[in-house]
Formats: sequence, structure tokens, C-alpha cells
Amino acid sequence: MRVKQPILLLLFLLTFSSCRDFLDVKPLESISDTETITNQNSALTALRGVYSALGDGGYYGTSFQSIGYLSGDNVQWTGSQSQVQEFINKKVNADNSTISSAWIAIYRTINRANNVLAKVPTVTDPSFTTAQKNQYVGEAYAIRALAYFDLARTFGGVPIITSPTEKPTDNSGIKRSTQADTYAQVLKDLDAAEPLLPTTVDRYRVTQRTVFALKARFYLYQKNYAKAEEYATKLISDATNYRLVKPYGAFFQSDARGTAESVFEIFYNGTTEVNSHRGQWQPQTNGGTRQWAPNDALVALLNNPAIGGNRSVLVAKDNQNRWYGNLYYRNPASDPSYIFRIAEAYLIRAEARAQQDKLPDALTDLNAVRDRAGLTALTATTTPTKDAVLLAIENERRVEFALEPHRWFDIVRTGRASAVFNLSDANRYVLPIPVQQLLTDKALEQNPGY
Amino acid sequence: MKKTLSGRVRLLWGLSVLLPFFVQAQNAPTINATLSGRITDSRTKEPLIGATVVIKGTTNGSAADDKGRFLLKTGQILPFTLVVSFIGYQTKEVIAESNTINIDLEADAKQLSEVAVVGYGTVERKNLIGSLSKIDPAETKNIPVGSVDAQLQGKVVGVQISSATGVPGERVNIRVRGATSINASNDPLYVVDGVFINNNSLQTIGTGGKATSPIADINPSDIERIDVLKDAEATALYGSRGANGVVLITTKRGNFGQKPTVSINASAGAAKAAKLWDLTTGPEHATLVNEWWINTGKDDRTLNRTFENRPFRPIADGGRGLPEEQQTYDRLSELFRTAQLRNYDVALSGGTQTTKYYIGGGYNTQEAIIKPVTFNRASFKVNLDQQVNDNIQVGVSNTFTRTYRNQARAGDGPAGGLLQAALHTPTYLSPVNEQGVPVGRAGFDNLTLLLNNYQVNTTSLRYIGNLYADAQILPGLKFRTSFGIDYNNYNESEYWNSLLISGSPNGYATSSVSQYTTWLNEQTLTYRKRIGNSHSFGVLIGNTLQSDNLTRTYAEGRGFPNDNFTQISSAATTASSQNWSKSTLASFFGKVDYNFAGKYLIDASLRADGSSRFGSSRKWGYFPAVGAAWRIKQESFLQNNRVISDLKLRASWGVTGNQNGIGNFAAQGLWTGGTGYQGSPGIAPQQLGNPDLQWERTRQLNAGLDVSLFNDRIGLEFNVYDKYTSNGLLQIALPGTTGFSNYWSNATEISNKGFELGINTVNIQRGGLTWSTSFNVAQNVNRIEKLATPLRYGSRELILQQQGTPLYSFWVYKQLYVDPQTGNVVYEDVNKDGKITVDDRQLVGSIWPKFFGGLTNTLTYRGFDVNLFFAYQYGNKIYNHNKFFGEGGGARDAARIIFASNNARWQKPGDITDVPRPDGINVNNYRDGGSRWLEDGSFLRLRSLTVGYTLPKTVTKRVGIQGLRVYAVGTNLWLLTKYTGLDPETSASSDPNSQGIDLGTPPQPVGFQGGISLTL
Repeated sequence: MRVKQPILLLLFLLTFSSCRDFLDVKPLESISDTETITNQNSALTALRGVYSALGDGGYYGTSFQSIGYLSGDNVQWTGSQSQVQEFINKKVNADNSTISSAWIAIYRTINRANNVLAKVPTVTDPSFTTAQKNQYVGEAYAIRALAYFDLARTFGGVPIITSPTEKPTDNSGIKRSTQADTYAQVLKDLDAAEPLLPTTVDRYRVTQRTVFALKARFYLYQKNYAKAEEYATKLISDATNYRLVKPYGAFFQSDARGTAESVFEIFYNGTTEVNSHRGQWQPQTNGGTRQWAPNDALVALLNNPAIGGNRSVLVAKDNQNRWYGNLYYRNPASDPSYIFRIAEAYLIRAEARAQQDKLPDALTDLNAVRDRAGLTALTATTTPTKDAVLLAIENERRVEFALEPHRWFDIVRTGRASAVFNLSDANRYVLPIPVQQLLTDKALEQNPGY
Repeated sequence: MKKTLSGRVRLLWGLSVLLPFFVQAQNAPTINATLSGRITDSRTKEPLIGATVVIKGTTNGSAADDKGRFLLKTGQILPFTLVVSFIGYQTKEVIAESNTINIDLEADAKQLSEVAVVGYGTVERKNLIGSLSKIDPAETKNIPVGSVDAQLQGKVVGVQISSATGVPGERVNIRVRGATSINASNDPLYVVDGVFINNNSLQTIGTGGKATSPIADINPSDIERIDVLKDAEATALYGSRGANGVVLITTKRGNFGQKPTVSINASAGAAKAAKLWDLTTGPEHATLVNEWWINTGKDDRTLNRTFENRPFRPIADGGRGLPEEQQTYDRLSELFRTAQLRNYDVALSGGTQTTKYYIGGGYNTQEAIIKPVTFNRASFKVNLDQQVNDNIQVGVSNTFTRTYRNQARAGDGPAGGLLQAALHTPTYLSPVNEQGVPVGRAGFDNLTLLLNNYQVNTTSLRYIGNLYADAQILPGLKFRTSFGIDYNNYNESEYWNSLLISGSPNGYATSSVSQYTTWLNEQTLTYRKRIGNSHSFGVLIGNTLQSDNLTRTYAEGRGFPNDNFTQISSAATTASSQNWSKSTLASFFGKVDYNFAGKYLIDASLRADGSSRFGSSRKWGYFPAVGAAWRIKQESFLQNNRVISDLKLRASWGVTGNQNGIGNFAAQGLWTGGTGYQGSPGIAPQQLGNPDLQWERTRQLNAGLDVSLFNDRIGLEFNVYDKYTSNGLLQIALPGTTGFSNYWSNATEISNKGFELGINTVNIQRGGLTWSTSFNVAQNVNRIEKLATPLRYGSRELILQQQGTPLYSFWVYKQLYVDPQTGNVVYEDVNKDGKITVDDRQLVGSIWPKFFGGLTNTLTYRGFDVNLFFAYQYGNKIYNHNKFFGEGGGARDAARIIFASNNARWQKPGDITDVPRPDGINVNNYRDGGSRWLEDGSFLRLRSLTVGYTLPKTVTKRVGIQGLRVYAVGTNLWLLTKYTGLDPETSASSDPNSQGIDLGTPPQPVGFQGGISLTL
């Protein structure tokens, strides 16, 4: 044993060395944020990260979308979570968890876009062409525009962030811009994106045509009807690529995706990219919770052959005779989230034309949508006045986008909330800033009335 | 020893002296012989007054008088064996070879100089400076909760143990002297035979917020002792990991020169719920829904809710039928059952002069009181020690365990929830539809289908082992090296077939295999030297290296050909993932202690820890501690005091660290993959870095007093402490505008102050009767001293962490009363603005009890033993979230159950009640976060009652049995509480920040077990 003791002592000494290496452990699933976008491939993967954020459950994946349709008058609450009921009752509290997750998800999308916008132009990879760089940057601009547009129409003016967050002190303590300034940022980003983007057709990624669509919607909200008509026309006139597929269900039933109906939809592969939306709509027998469901009024509208037409496929009955929404139904959960369908372009143009007193043209566009739904055309007889046409468009939008996030925003932007929703308190036309945001950022101020 | 005794004690002694004379000898004396002698303490040579002498194999005996002398008529032929015993001394057998004999007894090491296990060594309990508690698991190991930590509830002073559920083997919350952190872990460090084991659940599948306990992989029967280190003096040697206390688990080993001993223990029993929830009948439910309908119609005319179109109106009118036509379906009794419990242990231990061994095997199976949940553990243990030569000893500890669980989804969440399906589904809804097909209601699964098709299984394979070598280099100088491993293979699988929500329409399966490997290498060098009679000192230096590595492979599949195919390979769509994570820790430590004349003890230690988790320049933390004790009893003025048998004052100060519970890469700024689009890979920012992220530090002061009275018949230990944690690890919330939710920082300060009092008494000890009592009480006052932004946790944000208040305080609208005129709740309008808004939520109580502890009474008489063990806590709050849903006033209509307590709602002006009239959800009366459901969680529980009988050895010896004990254990037989839920010990979530919310959790069962222990 005399031999052994020095060996043990040696072991003791050995363990004292090389501590520095021992304590330096790097992850394998993540990379350091100091080297992220360095070449064409990393730029492209970072851009996919932006789309992934856009399709996240907090944004177009579920939460943000649900704000748009729950706040309308088409959906009833059948579950236990009262934040859902708050939208339906139009008494949203600042501590509502859905608005909180939407706020966070939208700004996460903006931050990812900002990373692409800041870093891609500085990459010095010779195989990374200018066209590719322009395209990626253009896509990021357009998505950021959509994000600010969604923030502005939901919350009013918001802090405008245009550079990536690299340390905890970045991008906090920024005061809210006005709603007008926020919309101005949207236009600025759309204008920046438009010339950079290719003119190709891609229904899952942003191209110049996607910007046309976003501009058409933007100008409609801004009541710049001429521009709205102009941009809607750019899409409608391209009948080779964009048309109303028949019947209505053809754009989403039978696992359809990327049809000619679609201008921009988010792609989910169902495994690593999941659209959890179906879980809220589908009944238990289909693996959902039916947290919310079409209300009696909507079921009646959709099942009325003169109003819903073949759009009745949006609802179905479960084994307990309960109606459920069936737009999001796929298993695994790979339903697309629809951001812009060509039907919206028709209805934007119809409204823009009606507002410009081009009533016959407006009816033509409206009838295109009605025709696809299997309804009779409206005429100058049935719908003689501007107000009647606008009301017809409003009602058409209610059923055409019954389960998509439009109804609330439409009624608010047209100033009809008092008449339609019996909601006269104008403070309620924007939602409160999430209370947790107010607590963490003292620069933020709550909307009046909350 | 004492020459005289106080009157009362003398009386007891006197009785015990007399007692033997009342006992008739079994054999009539055949020879008229006597035996006389004197019994003394082996060290002090003082007489042991009252010590007893009995001739072995008989009841013939005598007791020593006040000079230690005894006289006995023997009636036996020399030589014969005497059994000599005295409290506090080791019982001794001596052979009498003549008519006079003097006998020395040795003080019992277990009682007088008991050894305490401390960091990297042991110390005689009398020389202890720090604050720690020792527990013998034998008393609690029959409590059917699965894991040994849960069994210790009420046994360790100052340690609050809260079971979250009545499901065996699930995680429990253990808090040693409060909680120090919001986002880092507050769990103590567990060390099994020198191995720092993992105590974080590896569970990945969702079970409604619940998590399994990795401690349940340890068979309590293999444990020799558990020592809980509490103050900084005791824990500082575990520096980096010690801030939340250290639980040292020592498993059983053999003894050198011990004959092989086989011990067998078998027990079986049953358990069930003491009570279940009281629900409305179908007609009552329907009545409440109609009432809600009409009330809300009156509140808001635009809703058009009138009596005419109420939901429960005649079917002919398009309704669901009148209330009185509704049926009542009982789902709860379909879910709950009488659970079976069985436990078997076999152990062999012994040793030669150079080898000692312990081999143990155990099998434990426990059903939960809800179907189909079970816990099942098979364990195998081998501990070996070999004396290589006079200077070197090597040894191994090995524990192999297989823990199998059929797990419950029993907390929050809709799909697959057992209690959701059984409890939260309205009673009026039939489990089948009009065609007779079983259907789920209210968004939940059909209970029968769920129970018949439920497959959520977890198998944990665990190896905990340690290899050590001890070398005596020089006299007093000892070197020890050891290598320990904790390896856990945790295999989970779920299969949801097409009949269940999660599996609709074509089945869904997941499989996850996690492997957690800890290895730990440790060297220590100790030197102990005595100089003269008065000076003794010791030096310890050492180092450890530790690595923790977690890997996980996950797969899922959807779309199976039919329900007979359950493996993912048969699925139409599959997805998989792989994870890897690692952390390392390097530590150096040293300690010196000095003992003057056994009166004055001081020690000081320092530990340096380097952790891979922190910022590059902040990896190392330094944790010092000093302690001192004064054994006043050893002073000349007390040495001869006959009342005080020991008296010691202790004080310590030290700093410990915490890094548990934070991500392995928390300090690094990272981008993640896995943000793909269109099936192609993507990258995105994941977290912001913090190069300054560093150790959380807890400074602790402790002062203690140990008193023993009347020859240790009364023992008292009192501690006061003051802990202050700074640099608290926190995920600081970032404004959403940054694109991140939070980042890791050192941002909180939290204090814990309290006292602990433990009293052990031997109330009666005479003849064969012993009655001893152990009582403990502790108080901890917790306060968040610094937190920039309040944080909300839990469902409906019921818990708010805010500076200046205790952690885990409930944030509610305080209900003042129900207005007898309107039936509406009146809440306290905190800001007096005339409206009830979120600004009127206030903190009302917390999960912390004002005090808590346990009371144990043990009675032994001859072969009989009775153990009565109570646990209690007082002053904590629980949010009864089941009742929040169950008292929805009808507004949740067909979506939720209604509790019978809702029948007491206000109906007409003048009604005095605290249950308001039904209105909308979250409108006023049934507002989220209302204080009506915040209840007092105080309780006193008869945790266990054990009655045992050990057969006399004279009987068992004849059949070759060393010892035979039969026993019966009742658990949770009695509960005193004002809480209206099933059980005040409950928590829907295993997230420590969401404790104290009762939702969908089965209660602690009432159990009965019978068992037999056999030693061969």
C-alpha cells in the first residue's frame, strides 16, 4: 500500500488543474447570439424564423386571430376561461391573457424582422446575391408592416421599434406613438418592401403581390378608397393566379392549401409547425375542446340558403347535436392560417368603389363573392343606395369571413360599433394595453377608459 | 452521575426498583443462592442508581440502590448470564461466575454521544455547533406516499413538507426554513451516501401541472438515517448547493464481525378517500342555470334572456326539459376506489472481521385512490465495505431501482383529465348521447372511455452508486477519495386511442426517453490532533468535481390504422426531437475546528464553487461560515447539577449559494433552431445573455440552545435564525417591445426569519413501560425585501409576488358581504373610486403557515408498541379553485359542475348568505379572483397510528427466529380543518410559484395496513 498513497495524492492534484475548460459548457441546441446571420443560408433561416413568429400561437396561430372574431358577434363561449367571454361581451380587461400573449407575439415577430433588416445588408457572402438580399429584406419589411398594422388596429398607437434587441436595455422605455404615426410606419415599411420584392406568386411567402394586398387593406382602413381600389385591382386583374375558387369550401376543405383563392396564408406542416387553432374550435370527438363555437345567430345565417349559401360548410354538428366551427379541422394540426384571400380583395374593392359612389361596379365585385357562395346577384333594385350597398358588403363580410379575424375590425373601422354591437363607448374601440406591459415598462400609458 | 434525585423522579425510580419483585419467577428456585454487586458507569465509575439486573431467560431481577449496589436471590447454578440495563446506557450481558460481581455499563453512543452526520464527516452530537435534525425513517416508512421525503412531514422541526396530492410518488414541496428564491429552486440538496442526487422530475408529459418525485426511487426501508442540515454552519460545506438546506441520506450497511442477519418485512393494506365533493343534483343544477339566465336577462336586456326562453324549459318548447325532469349521474364513485397497498422488503446484513455487507431487496406497490393510477417500485441494494489492511478501507454503495407509474392527469387542463371528466362534468348530463354512444361532456373526456383506454406509463430506472477508498496516511491524517454516480433512465409513453379527445380521430402516441447522469468525484484530506488534555483540533480540505448531463429523445405519432396499433412505428405522421444539456461544478473547500476542554468549540469553513451556468467572469462564488458553541454543562458550576444533564449554547454565521433551477445556459445570449417554416429549418433569437449573472447568496445567522434535564429524560432544542438572500436569481420581465419576455438576472432580496423548538421527553419509563413524546413547532416569516416589478402566477393570476410581502401571497378581490337587498357581492373598494377594477385586488394571506410541526407519542409496554403521530400547520391559505368553478352560480351552464354549496345562494331580498345571486362569469358575483374561495388551510392531522407487538424472544427463539413483530398502521385517520375542500394539503401545480391552488387533485387517502417484520 505504500505505492498507492502517492497515486492518490497525484489524483488529488490532477483534479485541481484545467478547471477553466471544465466549467466552459456550450449548448448544442442553440448558438451564440454573436454569430447569427453570416451568409445566405443563415439569412434565409433567420427569415424563416420571422415567418415562424408570424404563425405563432400568440399571433396568427390563434390568439391574435381570436381577438378579431371573438370580439365580433359570430362566436359564443362554451368553455371555462373567462378571458374569452370578455371579448364576446366587449368588456376586455387589461389583465386579459389573450391580449397579453398577442402583444408579446407581435413584438417578437417585429424583433425577428428587425434582426433580418439590420444584419442581412451587412453580410459579405459573395454567393449571396443582391436580388436575394433585397428579397429577404423586403419580406421582413412587409411582415413588420403587417405587425404594426395589427397592433395599430387592435391597441391604437404603439411604441415603434425598428432595431433588433441585443441587450436587456434595448427597446424598452419607448413611449407610444400615435395611431396615425403607427399607421405611417406601416406605409413606410410597405413602400420600402414593394420595390425590393420579386413579382412572383408565392402564397406562403411575401412577394410584391402580397404587398399589394396589404396595401389594399391598409388604404381601406385609411379610407383612401382610390388607393384601396387601385391595389385591390392589381390582384383581381391577375385572374390567372388569383380567383375565387368554387364552391366556397374548395379553398380549405379536403386538406386544400395554397389554392388560387389564397394571396397569403401561413403554412404549417403539422409536426414541427403546428397551428393549434383547431383545438379551440373542434369538438371533443375530433380531439378539440370547443372552447368557443359559432353562435345561434351565425349558424342561422350560414344555414340560410339566401345568406350563407354554400358557406354553410363552415359549421358542422357533433355527436351531441352541438354546432362547431370547421375551418380549422386538420389532424395533425396543419390548417393554414389565412391572412389574405382574394375574396377580401373583391370586398375591399366593392367597398372602396361604393364609397366613391361607383355603385354598379361595387355590386359587381360584391356579386362575384356572392356568386361563388351560390347566392343570387344583388342589383340596383335590391340594393339601390350607397348605404344599402355598404350594408350589403358589411353583411357579406360577416359571413364570408365568419371564422376569420375581420368582423370586429370591420365594424370598428366603419364607425358602426354603436349600431351593430350596441357599443357606444368609443374608448372600447381599441383594446387595453396589457397590464403586465404597463408594469414592466413605465413609459407605456394605458388607453383612456381602461 | 447524580447522587440524589428529585422527588418525582425518585418515585419513578422507586417504582421501577420495586416492580421486579411483583413478578413471579417462572422457575421455582432450586438452590438458595444470592448474587450481589455494584453497577457503575464505565468511565466515571459513579454508581448507576436504578440500573436493573435480570438473570437471562428469567424474569428474576433486581435494581441498584443509591450506592449502585444490588442483591439478588438467584436460585441458579453458576455460571449464568445476567442482563444489565439502564436508561442511557448500552444493555450488557455478563456471565456471573461467583457470588459477587461488579459491572460497568457504557454510555449508549446512540443517546449520550450520538453521532451526527455533517458535511464530509461525522461529529459527536454533543460537539455539534450547527443546527441539524436527525430522523429515523423506521417510524414513517409505512406511510403510503411513495417517497421518503413526503413521509417526513411533521418529523423535522423547521422543515415544511407539503404534499400536493394524494397520488403516491408525486412531487412534494420541501422548504427548509422558508424559501429564498422566486425563479431558482427552493428545494434542499439531497445527498445519498455522498452522491448529490437529482431531485428534479424528469417528467415531460403533461399531467395537469403535476410532476413525479425522483426521491420516490429510493426505498425507505434501505435508509439507516436521514440528517437534515439547516443552518449555515452545517450547510456551508455544501456551499453552492446549501442555501435551501441539505438532506443527507445514509443507507444501511453491515457491521464487522456480525453474524448474517436476515430481516423480512411484509405489509399490505388498503386506502380510500375520506370524503368526496358534494355536488348538486341534476334538478338543482338546472334550477341554478335557469336562475342565472333570468338574472342576466334582467341585468342586460339586450341579451334577451327571459323566463320564456330559459334553457331548462319543456322539451316541447325547444328546451332541455324542466329542472325536475333532469337526471343525476354520479361520476365520482366511478373514478374513486379503495386502493390496494403492498410492500415487501428482504435484507441480509452481516460481516466478517474485514468485510461487511448489506444486501436488500424491496417491492412496493400502491394504487392511488383514483383509477387507474398506480405506483410500483422494485429496488435492489448492495453495500459492501472491505478493510484492505490496517490503513485502507474501500467500499461501494449501490442502489438499483425500477419505478413504474401509471400516471394520472389529475390537475388542470381539459383533454385526458381524470378529475375533469369525473368532477367537473355537470351531473345532469348523461354519459351517453341519444343514440347511446358514450360522449364526453363540457369539453372533457367521457369518464368510462377514459378509464378503459387510459395509457400513460412511466418507467424510471435509477442507479445511485458510490465507490470510495479511505486511507490512513499518518496517525490522525486520513485521505478519502470517492466517485459517485446518479444515473436515471426515465421512459415515458402515452397512447391516446381514437375514443379519447387527445387521440381523436385516429390515435396519438408519444414516447420520451430522458437520461440524467450525474457524476461526482470527491477528495478529502482530514487531520485530527489532540494536544494535551484540553486542546483538540481538526482540519479538512477537499475538492469535488461534478457534472450533470440530461439527454432526451422524443417521438410522437398520429394517425394509427386502428386502436390495436399502439407503437409510433405504425403511425401515419411522426415527429421527433432530441435535446442535450449539461452543467458542471468544480469546488474546493476547507474547514478547521478547535475544541477546548470539551467546553468551547469553534469552527470556520470556506468553500469556493465554480459553476458553468454563470457569466464567464462570475463563475466562482465563495461561501464562508463560522460557528461557536459553549457546552455550559462542562463548566464546574454545572457539572454536578442534578437537574441539568446537558446545556449548550450555539451560534453560527455563514453564506451559502444557490444555482439550482436556472437553465444550464442561462447566462448566455442564444439563438435557437427549431423555428422552421414550410418544413425547412429556421433560426431566431431565443434568450438575451447576461454576462454578469452570478450566484444567489444566502447569509444566515443562527443561535441555538440545547438543554437536557433529568438525566436526559427531557431534551429541548431551540433555534432562532435570520436568513437573508441577496443577488436572488430572477427572470426579470422585459417589456414585450424588446421581443423577449424576460432574461435571467440577480435581482431579488428575500428574508426568512424564524424559530424552531423541539422537545423530546420520556414521560414514563419503568418496568416494561415507556412513554415518550416528541413535539416540534416552527415559525418562519418570509418577506420579499426587493423586487422591482410585481410578478403574477397561477391560474387567474391568483398569486402575486410583491416587494414587502411574503412570497406566494394570494391576490384577490376581498368579498365583504352579500348585500341582503340585491344579492350582489360587495367587494372592498380599495382605492375608493366607486368601481371594482383590477386596482382593487389585494393581498390576503399566503401559503405560509404561521406555525407548523408535529407531535409524536410512543408507548411501549413489554412487547407492545404504539406510535401516534400528528402533523399540523396553522394560518396558511388555500384557494379552493374547484369551488370557484363549482360555485359558478349556473353561469357556466353545461360547461361545469355546480357544488351543492351553491344552493345556499341569495334568492330574495332579506336572504342572509355569503353566496350571491347568480350573474355572469367574471361580472361581479362570480368574479375571477374573488376571496370567497380563499380559505383557511390550517389543519391537525393524525398522520399515522401504529400498533405493534413483538413476540418474546423466548418464544421466537424456539423456532429459530431472532425477532418477530406484527403491526398495524393507520394513516390520516383523523383530520381537523375548516377547509371545505377535500384536503388542505393540495396543489394543482408542481410549480412552486403556483402553490396553494386546489384544482382537480385527489385527497390524501385514509389507509390501513397490517404487516409483519421478521429477523432471522
